[in-house]
Amino acid sequence: MNNFTEALKFIGRDGSIPGYPGLPTLLHLTLETLKISAIGIGISLLVAIPIGLWLGHIHRGSFVAINLGNIWRALPSLAVLAIGVAFLGVGLRNVELALIVLAIPPMITNAYVAVDGVDREIVDAARGMGLTGWQILRQVEVPMGIPLIFAGIRTASLFVISTTTIASLTGYSGTLGDIINNEASYHLYGVIGAAICIAALALIIEFVLAGVQRLLTPRGLILANEDEGAFEFELEPAVA
Amino acid sequence: MNIFAATGPVIPNFGGGASSFSCERANRLFCSSWVSQNWSSVLWPALRQHVILTLIAVSIGFVISTTLALIAYWRRWFERPVLIVTSILYTIPSLALFELLQGVPGFGLSATTAEVALVSYTLLIMFRNTLTGLREVPDEVREAADGMGLGPGQRLLRVELPLALPAVIAGVRIATVTVISLATVASLVDDQGLGVPILSAISDNVFKTELISAGALAVLLALVADGLLVGLQRRLTPWARSA
Amino acid sequence: MQRSHIRRVLGTLIAVTAAVALAACGSSSSSSSTSSSAASPSSSSQSSSSGAAAQPGTGKPPIVMGDKNFDEEYVLGDLYQQALAAKGYKVTLKANIGSSEIIYKALQSGQIQMYPEYTGTLLTAIAGDNNPPKSAAQTYQLANAFVKKHGFVLLNQTPFFDADGLASTKAYAKAHGLTTIPDLKKLSTIKYGAPAENRTRYDGLVGLKKVYGLNNLSFVPLAEGLNYKALDSGQVQVATIFTTDPQLQSGKYTVLTDTKKLFGFQNVAPVVKQSLVTAEGPAFTTTLNKVSALLTLPAIIKMNAAVQLDQQSPSKVAHAFLAANGLA
Repeated sequence: MNNFTEALKFIGRDGSIPGYPGLPTLLHLTLETLKISAIGIGISLLVAIPIGLWLGHIHRGSFVAINLGNIWRALPSLAVLAIGVAFLGVGLRNVELALIVLAIPPMITNAYVAVDGVDREIVDAARGMGLTGWQILRQVEVPMGIPLIFAGIRTASLFVISTTTIASLTGYSGTLGDIINNEASYHLYGVIGAAICIAALALIIEFVLAGVQRLLTPRGLILANEDEGAFEFELEPAVA
Repeated sequence: MNIFAATGPVIPNFGGGASSFSCERANRLFCSSWVSQNWSSVLWPALRQHVILTLIAVSIGFVISTTLALIAYWRRWFERPVLIVTSILYTIPSLALFELLQGVPGFGLSATTAEVALVSYTLLIMFRNTLTGLREVPDEVREAADGMGLGPGQRLLRVELPLALPAVIAGVRIATVTVISLATVASLVDDQGLGVPILSAISDNVFKTELISAGALAVLLALVADGLLVGLQRRLTPWARSA
Repeated sequence: MQRSHIRRVLGTLIAVTAAVALAACGSSSSSSSTSSSAASPSSSSQSSSSGAAAQPGTGKPPIVMGDKNFDEEYVLGDLYQQALAAKGYKVTLKANIGSSEIIYKALQSGQIQMYPEYTGTLLTAIAGDNNPPKSAAQTYQLANAFVKKHGFVLLNQTPFFDADGLASTKAYAKAHGLTTIPDLKKLSTIKYGAPAENRTRYDGLVGLKKVYGLNNLSFVPLAEGLNYKALDSGQVQVATIFTTDPQLQSGKYTVLTDTKKLFGFQNVAPVVKQSLVTAEGPAFTTTLNKVSALLTLPAIIKMNAAVQLDQQSPSKVAHAFLAANGLA
């Protein structure tokens, strides 16, 4: 318990160690972690979501989409980061590449399943009403698929934040992982303090994404699925 | 008296000159000689430890999550608190959770720390899937079971659980693969598993062969585990169409 | 249909449980079956008592040894562990515990009972004594006096020493006229790479500022073992190295002279819990001292080369060395 109270004090001091001026502050490291994660998530979103939505819309590529998800889950993020270091050296580019590799598959898989799984009768009815393919995608399939699409985004975001922290093990400095990986300088209470910060960061991101999901979900769907909210993970289709 | 004082120790030739290790010295992409020489001392022990870490974590997680799911199945109000706790555990980045648990008195650098963290990551997935699987059993089937005179316990054992099996096993599959991946980071608090050669390779000027071997073993292990569990599912639910 | 289904489920469950149990039991006893004459497993292994009951180690309490998080320490840990195991002692080696501060905490808390330590590091990083000793002998005495106050003792130290050092690539040193550490003052800013904990260490950034007055260093934390890669790629211009690093033999790097002896004297000595020394008997101390006496500078550099350049496993290298000197 002493360690945990010391950890809270450490957070209160913004991560400074008495006697050693010039250390990066907790706030700075947290914001850096957030920035790096945001870049990774952002790029992945721009690449993965359109592809996933489109494949789902034309009902093609299910083999690739589903198996991409299976193989991705098997990739240890530590190994992906380390392989990046082997070929690109230590640096932001390598870390972002690893983040993108890890974030894209769940986004594609979930976006695909979300759109592909929309009730065919509804799609046919829409087509019967004269909507074009593009309109169907935008006005019917995507809104109905929001929960699953966001499930993919939320899962991917969690992985990105986790991996950003792990990047310190492969030599990249500038994230909260610096403290977590340096018990010698910061002592165990400092490590715990930084761990609390990264956990808090992840939980906040989760809340924010859940809020965005709620905003984008059509009202009918919200009423039908009253349980959807923060921490309601629909990780993948229950029987993949 | 130190008999080596005058002549110094015998320094053996540790396996030949630079030529016999040219692949390693050049850090080429993959040195098969290294793999065959170090399989039994480095890679196989790490793989074996990794398998055991995973089996223990998934087994314990399965017992806990199934118990929780059954309680939530019978008492609806139980679901929400369990979801919140397990979701928070799942959200905490792995490195953070391992280090947080290291601070708990009695845990420290040990397999216990690693296992507790790994078990935490399995709970949400298996709890949700088991509960969903149980709930998806059609009402007519339940009523038919009641009509046949089965008590609630019997109905659970003979009807609801078997029908929920595909969802349950899907949850076990996802949990298993997740644990295999996360256990590589666990080597930080418990020096075993495939994370050991991966981290060792990084601190060895990023020795590519070891990194790729250990990484590939982790991926293959996950794919094999997934495949075995799919086979298990087919065996246990012969009536279900393969998903 | 239902009964046979239940049997199926039960049968599968029993098979799976049996497999798990076998695997779990297999793991705890398998290390004795995998140890062959060529190599003994290095991490968390129980030694198999080799035959004769006349061995000095039989019947003695088990020993838990640790080592730090870099290659030379792995070799040292394996050397000591295997030498003791050859004499019948039951030694468990917990490898890769962490840096000096962390492993010393593990020693204090009883998680381990001994580990190989560098005398100078013990003095500065652990004891916090920043007064530079004048010789290796004095360093040893001061370090020993410190640990004795806490219930530990240093056994004999090795002939070799492995101090931290600062190095640049030969090209960079030549271009900027760098031969000693004070020469670094000439440069406006320079990126200095070292393990993260060096930021708060006296024999790291703190001492470089205080003793050498180097305020132009921009600290870049480097993961253990990536320092030469960082020098080669230009990520840093000067980095912390170990004087026994095999990479230094290549001639590509210039080690800057430590004119004020900031990095001190760094011979290795096992730091052991005093009560363990008493309990294990005289052969315990004699064996470890025999091993230490063998560790000359050429010997350790050759072993480091085998591990770090040829990527051989530390336990194999340690075994080969001990076997060649009759201690395996």
